[in-house]
This record gives sequence, C-alpha cells and structure tokens, in this order.
Amino acid sequence: MRKRGEVFLFLFIGAFIGSDLRYLESLIFKTNNGFPLGTLIANLSGALILPFLIHYLQDRYNLSSRVVLTLSTGVLGSYTTFSTFTADTYHLYLTGQWWFLFVYLTITIVGGFGLAILGNYWAATRAFNDYARRRRGRRL
Amino acid sequence: MSNFLLVGFGATVGAFLRNELTLQQSKIKLDFPVVTLFINIFGALLLGIFTAQIHNGAILLLLGTGFCGGFTTYGTFNMELSQLWFQHRLGRCFLYFVLTYVFGILGFVVGIHI
Repeated sequence: MRKRGEVFLFLFIGAFIGSDLRYLESLIFKTNNGFPLGTLIANLSGALILPFLIHYLQDRYNLSSRVVLTLSTGVLGSYTTFSTFTADTYHLYLTGQWWFLFVYLTITIVGGFGLAILGNYWAATRAFNDYARRRRGRRL
Repeated sequence: MSNFLLVGFGATVGAFLRNELTLQQSKIKLDFPVVTLFINIFGALLLGIFTAQIHNGAILLLLGTGFCGGFTTYGTFNMELSQLWFQHRLGRCFLYFVLTYVFGILGFVVGIHI
C-alpha cells in the first residue's frame, strides 16, 4: 500500500465522503442567526468517532490498513476541519456576536478534547466487554 | 450537485497532502505532533488568504471548504491531545493545545489581512 497512486485512490474515496458529509451538514444545520452549528456538529462527532475507530473498530473487525487509511485519514480527517473553525471564530468576532463567540469557542475547545477522551474510554469499555464475553463463552 | 464535486475534489487533494506530510512525522526527531500543528496553522492561514482574495463562490468552495477543510483536521488534533493526556505528558498536551488554538486563529487573521 506504499504506492502513491493507491493511497491517492483510497484518500479520494474517503475525502470525498468526509468533506461532502461536512458540507451537507453545514447546509442542513444552517441557522438564521449565523451560528456555525454545522461545523460544530461535524467536528464534535468526528472527534468522538476517530479514537473509537483506531482503538476499537480496527481490531474488532480486523480492518486492513487500506480501510483504516480510508476511514481515518480520508473520511474523518476531511469530515472534521480546523481551518473553518478559525474562519467561523473570526467571523463571530467581526460581527460582534460575543455570546455566540464564547459558546462556540468553549464547546469546540472543551468539547472536542472531552469527546476524544470519551472516545478512548468507549473503545476500552467495548474491548473489555468483548473480552469478558469471550471468557464467559469459553467457561460454559 | 456540482458544489459537492468541488468540495470533494478540493478535499481529496488536501487530504492527500496532509497524509504525505503526516508520513514525515516519524522522520522528525521531536516527540511532539509538529506536523499536525503545522498543517492546522498553515491551513488556517491559507483559508484566510483565500477568503480575502477569492470572490468567486465556486472557487472558494473548491479551495476553502474543500481543500483547506480537507487539509486541516480537528479529529486527529484532538486524538493526539487525548493520547498525550493518557500518557501523562500533560505539559506537552497543554502546549500543543495552546499553540494550535492561538496560532491557528492568528494564522487565519494574518491570512485575511496580507
């Protein structure tokens, strides 16, 4: 899988899905008051799912490195975005929407980190439950 | 429909470049996620430049929402943060956190004004 062309193909599929999902959410969750709800939803959900994919789904379903590259670097990497977050932040600052700016910054900064931590615990809990179930199955 | 194609193609190039850069991380003798840090700050700077210079909606979708959106990543950033947290490297965790947010937002503002 070290061939660049192959990598490009898998990232092409992944990035197309991820970025258009984010774009779709920005259209669906378009607010009248200018609050960037779409970016927020994409970023927070992506921050939760990525550690779960890497630390649980990858082992649980024996995903190949191609599939992991497509899903993590491709889909989730393009689904979440940092640049749009900075643009949204500056826009809220320029338009003087201080309350929105405060809420958006707080939820993005604290929420993203918190959900990534939660994603790790979620993965560990699921992995442990699978292990316990296998142990029980063997004893019966 | 064509909007979705613009975003998708832009993001593909962005994601491919991000992957090429991330592969260099192992060659860097520094125990710090500098590559993602660079990607996010540089991507924010680029988006600032594009936002200020490009007035065509379609091209802005391709390069802004597509390329910059796909190039920068928030998921990997938070995953790396959580890894540093679980490894009890709290100093690095805090530094990475502050550098990304401060210089990321600053990058966009600089990009808008140059």
